[in-house]
This record gives sequence, structure tokens and C-alpha cells, in this order.
Amino acid sequence: MTITAERLEGARMIRESAAGIADRGDVGRTRKLRFSETGFDRQILKEMCDLGWLGLRLPESDGGSGLGMVEMCALAEELGAAIVPEPLIPAALAVRVLAEPERTAALEGRLVVLPAFQEQAADPDAAPATSVQQGRISGRKLFVPSPRGADAFVVTSREGSFLVRSDAPGLVIEAVTMQDGSHSGTLVFNDAPAEKLPGRLEDGLDDACLATAAYLLGLADAVLERTVAYLKVRKQFGAVIGTFQALQHRCVDLKLQAVLARVSVEDAARIADTNVGIDERRAAVSRAKARASDAALLVARQAVQLHGGIGFTDECDIGLYLRKAMVLAPAFGGSAFHRARFAALTFGDSAEASPAPARTA
Amino acid sequence: MTTSLYRLDDFDALDDEAFRALARAFLKEHYPQDLRNPPKRLHWDEIRCWYMTLSAHGWLAPGWPRTHGGMGLSAAKQLIYMEEFEQFGAARMPDHGIMLLGPLLIRYGSTAQQQEFLPKIISGEHIWCQGYSEPNAGSDLANVQTRAVLDGEHWVVNGQKIWTTLAQDADWIFMLVRTDPAARKQEGISFLLVPMNSPGVTVRPILNLEMQDEFCEVFFDDVRVPRENLVGEINKGWSMAKALLGFERIFLGSPRQSANALERLKVLAQHVGCWTEPVFRDRYARLALDLADHKALYEHFADILRAGGQLGPDISFLKLHQGELYQRITELMLEIGGEAAAGLEPINGNRDLNPAGQFLAARASTIYGGASEVQRNILAKNVLGLPG
Ligand SMILES: Cc1cc2nc3c(=O)[nH]c(=O)nc-3n(C[C@H](O)[C@H](O)[C@H](O)COP(=O)(O)OP(=O)(O)OC[C@H]3O[C@@H](n4cnc5c(N)ncnc54)[C@H](O)[C@@H]3O)c2cc1C
Repeated sequence: MTITAERLEGARMIRESAAGIADRGDVGRTRKLRFSETGFDRQILKEMCDLGWLGLRLPESDGGSGLGMVEMCALAEELGAAIVPEPLIPAALAVRVLAEPERTAALEGRLVVLPAFQEQAADPDAAPATSVQQGRISGRKLFVPSPRGADAFVVTSREGSFLVRSDAPGLVIEAVTMQDGSHSGTLVFNDAPAEKLPGRLEDGLDDACLATAAYLLGLADAVLERTVAYLKVRKQFGAVIGTFQALQHRCVDLKLQAVLARVSVEDAARIADTNVGIDERRAAVSRAKARASDAALLVARQAVQLHGGIGFTDECDIGLYLRKAMVLAPAFGGSAFHRARFAALTFGDSAEASPAPARTA
Repeated sequence: MTTSLYRLDDFDALDDEAFRALARAFLKEHYPQDLRNPPKRLHWDEIRCWYMTLSAHGWLAPGWPRTHGGMGLSAAKQLIYMEEFEQFGAARMPDHGIMLLGPLLIRYGSTAQQQEFLPKIISGEHIWCQGYSEPNAGSDLANVQTRAVLDGEHWVVNGQKIWTTLAQDADWIFMLVRTDPAARKQEGISFLLVPMNSPGVTVRPILNLEMQDEFCEVFFDDVRVPRENLVGEINKGWSMAKALLGFERIFLGSPRQSANALERLKVLAQHVGCWTEPVFRDRYARLALDLADHKALYEHFADILRAGGQLGPDISFLKLHQGELYQRITELMLEIGGEAAAGLEPINGNRDLNPAGQFLAARASTIYGGASEVQRNILAKNVLGLPG
């Protein structure tokens, strides 16, 4: 299936509009927000909402823009190229299942709602054990991004998706600081008041996963771009080090991985926007996320190596990309999980195969 | 000087196994428990007590001759010493004075320099740092630009060093300085000893990728140093520094770092529950075999030293393989650690479950002491004999 010229133009315009907030040439804002109270800038998240990014995938009838994954991936890639810290991808996942008045409040950036779905390490698809009785939710959610910046959470349970306010009695949020300066939360619900939501959060997981793959693709491309630029100015032995063939070949190999990640993400976005079977869609997402996760980590760690001593400093921006890749490569399933899921979905002889054995964290 | 069970007049009178047992007993009795396997390089105020203990028992400088306060160990026993210290989890000390400067002064220094500096390394009065690299002289070390100009009885030093490990803790820096800008690159470099408290020396610590302040920039602004602080002949600093790359080259290739990392990978695998998964086991076994063969390679070079031989350019294989093996082990840690792996602190506060910290720390091992690319260049030219 090909994408119409009109949609490609739309995606291009989204990229352009992203440049205002997501400046791939300057990650100073990202650096400043590391290790801050919430880890991101709420005002910037609001500006993103004003640009219509949060509701990009929501139907127009629900106050969104009714766009597809091609557009969402274009945007996420730009965010990744500038390693923006705002949790737009998780927030865009949560907003899809909200009811009024929260949906409008979220779309306008007045209410920050983030998703809490995962209960097992390395397996975002596992069915939740969290349960709700008489409007009270009990259970435990892991790896909730940016929990300190959320006003409320969309929480999956055996009974469907529920809205829980962050100040709800019976909710304890334990946040750990991550390498990229954000936080990851464990949410423990003990009979916390919960409001039933109309949609199922799980239905949006693959889109969020694919958007994360696009973010990692943007990250990989940007950190390689910076590295290549450095190789063109850094001199040793009387020559710019970019003239050394050993380094040229290394960069080409890295670019190859970025190129493969790009076509993989683009393929998956096109497939996601088509009426194909759910398995085909999920297999394409798995393929893209496995590739993008590995590519981003590989390129970012080689970027450190190619910078030499300066790459091994916190002052050098390369480290910011590496740390972000470390945090996002496993988000919504890491490459091993997605390879296993791809195999289970496509090899045809392993219908029973579960994607991954249970893990503890 | 204290009397000590461990202070022997002739360590070489012991056979190797007896010496090994002695080293173990010494560590067991004297090494501070809370400093075993520290997660980061320790600063002087943290490791000083151990340095002084070694000093008090005469165990500080295994490779130096006894006349200079060393242990006078044979190559074989030096290797045992190193292995036992590593095995025990003894922290690395600010050892630039012991490992690099001491041997250099013993070989090239004047009697006056030896008498002035060696005892003060042994006593812990002088802690040294290594000022070789500069912003524009990293892989291309011979490009050092920091100038030393003779003015009467003093050298006047201007310029900058960078990546100087633990310069903030050091009392002295030994450095490569340019004394003849007209000569060929390697031929205009001298070896100079500079007190860190000289007027005009400024130290700025740099946070590394692990967010530790382990290395520094050191600036020299009209720093005046007595003429007699130049070691050996003027403009011969390069060959002196190169000639000294002996023992520490095997040190950089020691299997211990990878062995420790592999142990921790197992602990992590057990923690996350994949230790018995076949796919994981295959990957772990691969690394375990790499480590076993690395140990064999290490022994091959150790045998050369034990037999009194010199290490050739092929020792670069050892450092190359060690750095990359260590990195691969930590990459698998990060992978199996999943979402929890990328925390700023170890998982559950357990130091043995620190995939992100180990992954980041391992990034340095292919950069310092000659980056892997440079090792490959050396091997291509000097071992394979390829032109260029
Ligand atoms: C943790 C740490 C501690 C250190 N401690 C000290 C210390 O105490 N004292 C000290 O003096 N120095 C120290 N160093 C500096 C270290 O020796 C240098 O970082 C190293 O030599 C690389 O130089 P550079 O950083 O300038 O990188 P560059 O030389 O700029 O290298 C950048 C990249 O180019 C590659 N490259 C360079 N030349 C070639 C070539 N000809 N062919 C192919 N590839 C090439 C490199 O391998 C690297 O990937 C330390 C470094 C680190 C990371």
C-alpha cells in the first residue's frame, strides 16, 4: 500500500511544526530537566497539546485530529531526534480511552494523564491481575513513566481500564530515578477509588510501541549525525579522524542499522494504517521495535566510542542520547520480547509459544 | 616502621604458592572489608588508610627493587600479587606513582631525583597523577603542545592537560611537555615533574559518564618549576615514556574485570529469572568461553614475563579483547535487566544488580590506555606487518 501525496505532505508539515519544540541541534533543555522534580516541563507538554499532538490519533469527533500512525511516527521521530523529555507518547496512549470531562482537559494540557498497564517485567502484553470491586482498585503496576508529573493514571485491570487520580487514597507511588533523569514508577493500589473508562487501554499499546520505535529511530539518526559531524572536525595525526577508513566503515555500518530501522518503522506505520489483520499489524510493530531498540543502543554506544575521552563525560551531549536509549529500548517490550512475539505471530508452527517466560524485576 | 609478620627480607625465597598464601593472608587480615569491590574508583580520602597500611608493611610497590623500598618481586610474583589483590576485590589505588613514575625514575632518574621522590611515594607523602593527554593529543599523544621554556633555573610551563585521572587528589603530576617545537613531533618532548600546588596550576574535575568526578582538566599558566625536575635527557621524554609501557600493559588486559562482570551477570540472570533459559544460557556460555580463552591468552603473556622476557606488540590483543569482552558482558546485563536495568541506582539498592552502572563504566575500557581502534592499528602494522 502506498501513502497518498497528501498524507506525506501532512507528515512533512508535522515534522516542520515539531522543530519549534524539538530542536535536534540543541538538547540543552533536555539536559536542564534531568533529575528535576517531574523530569519534564509541563508547560511544554501543554504547548504540544496546543499543537494538537496529544490527540493526533483521536477521531475528530472526539476532539482529535484523526490522523494515522504515519503521522504519529513522523512526529515521534522528531521528538526522538531532540530527545525531548515530555511523556507525549504515553500521554497520547492514555488520552484515547478517557471520557469527558477528562478527555478535553487532557487534550488542552490542563490534566496530565499517564498509562499504568505493565505488571510483569519484560512483558507488556501480559494480562493484568489488578482488579476492581465496587469502584475500588487493587493491584500493582510497574514502570510507569514520569509518575511524579501525572495528575491521574489510566490503569488496566481484569475489569477493564479505570481512571485513578494520583492523590487518590489507597494509591502509593514509588518513583525511582532513571539514567536519563526521568522517573519510573511502581504504583501500588490498595482499594483506591477508580472510575470506569469506556475504552481498553491495551488496544492502543501497539501504537505507543511503534511510536516509541520511531522515537528511537530519530534518536539513532540524530546521535549518528552528531558523531559524523564530530568526525569531520576532530583532528588527530594531522588529519580529521573522519578520513580514517576504519571509522568511515564503522559509521556506514551504523547508518545501515538506522536506515533499516527507518524502513522498518515506515513499513509498520503503513501497515498499521491499513485494514489488515491484528496479527499482521502486531508482527510489523514487533519487527520495528526490535530493530529500533537495538539500533538506537548500538549507535549511541558507538557514538561514545567514536568521540573518545570526551564521549565518556557527562558534559558531552552524546551521553544524553545513550541514557535515553537505555531507558526506552526496553519500554513497551525490548528487542528480545519483540523478536519472540514476531516469531510466535509469523512462524505459523508455534501457536502455543508464549512471547517470554515470566520475569521479576 | 612497624614490625610486621608480612615484612620479609627476601620474598623470592618463598616459592610461588607460599607467596600466594602470604598475600591472601595479608589481604584477609588488613584489607578494610567495606572497601571490597567498590562500585567506583575511590578518592584519596577513602583509600588513604589502605595505602598507608601497604606502606607500613612494605607491600606498596611490588615491582620496585628493595633498595628503593619496594618488595623486589620477580615477574612471576608480581603477577601473583596483582591476581590476589584483584581476586580479593581490593580497590585500585592512586597508583600512578607506583606503577609508572617509580619504574621510570629508577631507570632514567638522577640519584637526586630517586632520593627525593621514591621515598615519598612509599610514605604516601606524594600522590601522583599522569599528565599525558591533552585536548589535541589523545590517540595522537606525540602531538602534546603544553610548552616548557627554560628561564634561568626554572622551566616555565604553559598549556593544558585533560582526562587526568584523580588530579584533584594528587600532590604532583608527571607530564609530557614540549621543549623543542622545531623538532619532529616525538623528538621535542620532555618528561617533567610538577607540584600541583605551584602557582598557576588549576584543576577542574570533569564528571564522567558514570557521573563521578574521576578525571580532570589541568591548566598551566606560567607555572615555574625548578630546572632539576626534568627527568632524563631533554627531548627524550617520548622514548622514556614508551619504554615504560611494560608491566601495566598486561595489567590492562587482566581477566579480572570481565570475570567479575560475568559473575554479576549470573546474579542478575538469577534475579530476573532467565538463568535457566536455553537462549540465555547459550549467550552466557559464549561469554564464559570467551573469558576462559581470554584467561589462556593472559597466561600466555604472563608466561613470557615469568620467563624474564619482554612483551611484544601483540600484547595489544590482550587489551583489545579484554575491553570488548567486558563491554559485551555488560551489554547482555542491560538487555536482560529489562525496564529496571536503566535505573540511576542499582536495582533494589543491591550493588551486585547494577547493569546500567556496569554498562556505562565499561564504555571507558575501549578508550583509555590506547583506544581499541589504535590497538588495531598497532596490531595491523606491527604484528601483521601491513603497510601504513
Ligand atoms: C576513564 C579515562 C581515564 C583516563 N585517564 C587518563 C590519565 O590519567 N592521564 C592521561 O594522560 N590520559 C588519560 N585518559 C585519556 C586517554 O588516554 C585518551 O582518552 C585516549 O588516548 C583517546 O584520546 P582522545 O580522547 O583524544 O580521543 P581521540 O584520539 O580524539 O579519538 C576519537 C576516536 O577516533 C579514533 N581514532 C583516533 N585515531 C585513529 C586512527 N588513526 N585510526 C582509527 N581510529 C582512530 C579513536 O579510537 C576514537 O574512537 C583517560 C581516558 C579515559 C576515558
